[in-house]
Amino acid sequence: MSFLAGHLDLLLLVSVCLLLMAGFPVAFSLGGAGLLFAFFGSLAGITPTLGAIPLRIYGIVTNEVLIAVPLFIFMGFVLERSKVAEDLLLAMGWLLRGLPGGLSLSVTLVGALLAASTGIVGATVVTMGLLALPTLLKNGYRPSLACGSIAAAGTLGQIIPPSIVLVFLADQLSNAYQSAQRDMGYFAPEPFSVADLFAASVLPGLVLVGIYMLYQLLAASRQKNRDVVSLQTPAPGSGRAALLFSLCPPLFLIVCVLGSILAGIATPTEAAALGAAGAVVIAGARVSKSRLLPLGLPVLSVLVLAGVLASGIRNAEGLSGTVVVVLAIAASLGLFAGLLANFRTLQMQGLLSGIVQKAVEMIAMMFAIMIGASIFSLVFRDLGGDETVTSLLSSLPGGTLGAMLAVMAVMFVLGFFLDFLEIVFVVVPLVAPVLLQMPMADGSLMSPAWLGVMMAVNLQTSFLTPPFGFALFYLRGTVPASVRTMDIYRGVIPFVAIQLLVLVLIYWMPALATWLPGRLYP
Amino acid sequence: MARYLDWIDRLNRAAGRLAGWFILAMVLIQVLVVLLRYVFNIGYLWMQESVLYLHVGLALFAAGFTLLNNVHVRVDVFYQTAAPRLKALIDVIGSLVFLLPLCVVIFWKSLPFVAASWSVLEGSAQPSGLPAVFLLKTSILCFALLLGLQGLAFAIRAFDALVTGETRQ
Repeated sequence: MSFLAGHLDLLLLVSVCLLLMAGFPVAFSLGGAGLLFAFFGSLAGITPTLGAIPLRIYGIVTNEVLIAVPLFIFMGFVLERSKVAEDLLLAMGWLLRGLPGGLSLSVTLVGALLAASTGIVGATVVTMGLLALPTLLKNGYRPSLACGSIAAAGTLGQIIPPSIVLVFLADQLSNAYQSAQRDMGYFAPEPFSVADLFAASVLPGLVLVGIYMLYQLLAASRQKNRDVVSLQTPAPGSGRAALLFSLCPPLFLIVCVLGSILAGIATPTEAAALGAAGAVVIAGARVSKSRLLPLGLPVLSVLVLAGVLASGIRNAEGLSGTVVVVLAIAASLGLFAGLLANFRTLQMQGLLSGIVQKAVEMIAMMFAIMIGASIFSLVFRDLGGDETVTSLLSSLPGGTLGAMLAVMAVMFVLGFFLDFLEIVFVVVPLVAPVLLQMPMADGSLMSPAWLGVMMAVNLQTSFLTPPFGFALFYLRGTVPASVRTMDIYRGVIPFVAIQLLVLVLIYWMPALATWLPGRLYP
Repeated sequence: MARYLDWIDRLNRAAGRLAGWFILAMVLIQVLVVLLRYVFNIGYLWMQESVLYLHVGLALFAAGFTLLNNVHVRVDVFYQTAAPRLKALIDVIGSLVFLLPLCVVIFWKSLPFVAASWSVLEGSAQPSGLPAVFLLKTSILCFALLLGLQGLAFAIRAFDALVTGETRQ
């Protein structure tokens, strides 16, 4: 009995894993199991500090960093539901039709771009599976290559910024980094921001996309019936204008959102709000009959505003000053009018309420998980879990490599059962403060940016790995009966191998993750 | 009984709709804040804080609504293929052991926290901010209450399904 009481922390961990498997909602299982063990703990003479619960919840919901999340989620659902994402995929496939495997390359590219929108494995994989798989199969792709491409591209959303999960990961890492620095005696550590992690994941993301595409080119050109692969897909919509319309605005939007965050012009929240507004404009124009006015008015207004800002005549005196102010006000009004009109269009088409409901549900779910996980970790800490994890990690042989291998393996296995968020909220606060005091492969102190990228790529790999990978379950729900489960498994194995290769690469070349943030924010 | 359950559903549907308006307002107000700040060099703290208030409401008010629609994420490796009765059993036990105690404890532990804020009508830490931090903190109680009520309805319906063996929606 006293053995049990002394190891309540480990018991809690094990029982949560078992309880989660039963299938009760994750958020409540985490929080409820935490409370249950707090009760056991009080029986064993450990007084848990449950009084901190309201402070924790208040801290979570008023965390300024996370205000960007609802806005990004809204943006994602707008792009998905209005079929802007679908158009983008088809248009890109049509552009790349000359290359061997052009359509599968397009799947990878669009997957990387849609990263911006959802960042949730399920949504992207399902969208791509429904859209691209029939087209891929019709064009003579092997089912395995087609399925592998879609599952892999769908999970890219996790690592390529501005992904929502990276926002959460950055927030957790930032706390861990502060406490690691304090433990080492630095009391004024550099802050670690969302922009840092975004910047860190750009290069590894590009490397991943590059190797994916290289593999797809090779695999497609090795196929016997090459002619079938490069078969012409019909041009989407009518003519060049439609093609431009489906390609340019979403690309421009994503580049602007990411660019303004990385360049430090806008905070993630500001960029996300503009991104959401931009998505509404593009979607409204997509579903309305005439595309010119709904898109034209806001774009024109933005151009005028950009002109006012860039030319620096904002501070002009006298008459010209008045003219500039009037111009700026008119453009702002135009922008708002255009935005509201497009909201109205979406509503008239019956899309808006569905988008809003999906977004609300996802946001509520995420915050419920955060609250549950924070109660869990509160109790876990009170039961001595922190010391247990610390002593476990530092007693592993092999220093950083051993500790990283252990953490990565645990997260990889957890990835079979849990989604990115739960893992981030439960595991990162436990292990990151310890890991961040260890050196990286190049000898310097571990950077939170590097750790974040390693974790993100690792989890992405886990979601792809048969037979439990999340992405594969989602994909199997969308494939036609002609595609066998084994096709899916066989198709993703090369991609899993690529992922592992990149993971090893990042481990031995930390600069891949740390170089860009170092350059952007010295 | 069915009438009370229906009443809870309607309450949480209203809360979900309210949260929907919050997200639309968040987008519009944040765009306005950006415009004012970057183009006109004007910044209103209360306006920026109102986005935070909406965000808090959005995060906390819709938890019950999400439970009503049964879209809180589950580990469905095993649950998905389970028989309706077994699913109902898992939901009954889960609600009684996890969900309802969780809501009760959150409500009970937050009560003094919120009461302290009300007793001084706590305002923003910044002088020009919104003077309603006590309302912000009260939303934690709303979270526990809305989720707890819906959890109760959820448990009763699951129990019903456990007895009758019928499939729930």
